[in-house]
Amino acid sequence: MIEDLTGAIEVTQRIEASPEIVFAYLTDSQRFVAWMGVGAQLDPRPGGRYRIDVDGVHIVSGEYQVVDPPRRLVMSWGWEGHPTVPPGSTTVEIILTPERGATILTLRHLGLPDEGERRLHTDGWTQYMSQLAAAGSRN
Amino acid sequence: MQAATRNTPLAIEAAMSAIANPRRRQILRLVWDAERSAGDIAATVHEVSWPAISQSLRLLKNSGLVIERRQGTHRFYKADRRGLGPLEAVLRQMWTHDLGRLRELAEQEARSRKKRHD
Repeated sequence: MIEDLTGAIEVTQRIEASPEIVFAYLTDSQRFVAWMGVGAQLDPRPGGRYRIDVDGVHIVSGEYQVVDPPRRLVMSWGWEGHPTVPPGSTTVEIILTPERGATILTLRHLGLPDEGERRLHTDGWTQYMSQLAAAGSRN
Repeated sequence: MQAATRNTPLAIEAAMSAIANPRRRQILRLVWDAERSAGDIAATVHEVSWPAISQSLRLLKNSGLVIERRQGTHRFYKADRRGLGPLEAVLRQMWTHDLGRLRELAEQEARSRKKRHD
């Protein structure tokens, strides 16, 4: 588990399914797009890349760092075109813990901009949002 | 709040449409460092009508980017800088929403696999 929790958020889900099934939803492109995005290209092996079309406007991409089925997944994460959270700038770690036939899924999103970067981030966020809005209105 | 459509992170949509407007961006910048009264904001953003400013403030508030405080008949506004500001809230809401969907699908698959084995 990554210990440095600077700029981190954590979301936990208890899922009544085996870690093997849950892991398939994280790494199999077809299963993945059923819960996130409208399109996904996943190459789930260390050093492999992924690209997720979130909604036809937002693109998230990154690289797998740890692929340890069916327990753990670590990947870099960022929005393409975002000035302060571009691909490679943040890390997502997903840990699956078996519990009596179910799975505890813990997702941690690490390396988010810290306090000193907030002002910059707001500007970046604002800029990104207006770019997206412009892109969205052209569609 | 409107029901979430599948795969649409609500917070991103709300924050995106809130910040897409230059006037709302201007207001957000005004209240980023310090709380300001509605009157103060209206005086600074003087080229537009009060109803338009009031509507902008309401939209910023509803999308979680601005906090409103009432004191007597006065209203004060400041940017919501708890945690990491908009980003943390956006990501938390996005992951919670999407992982909830993952849970439903994985549980469906687990149930149908179990049925086949029974």
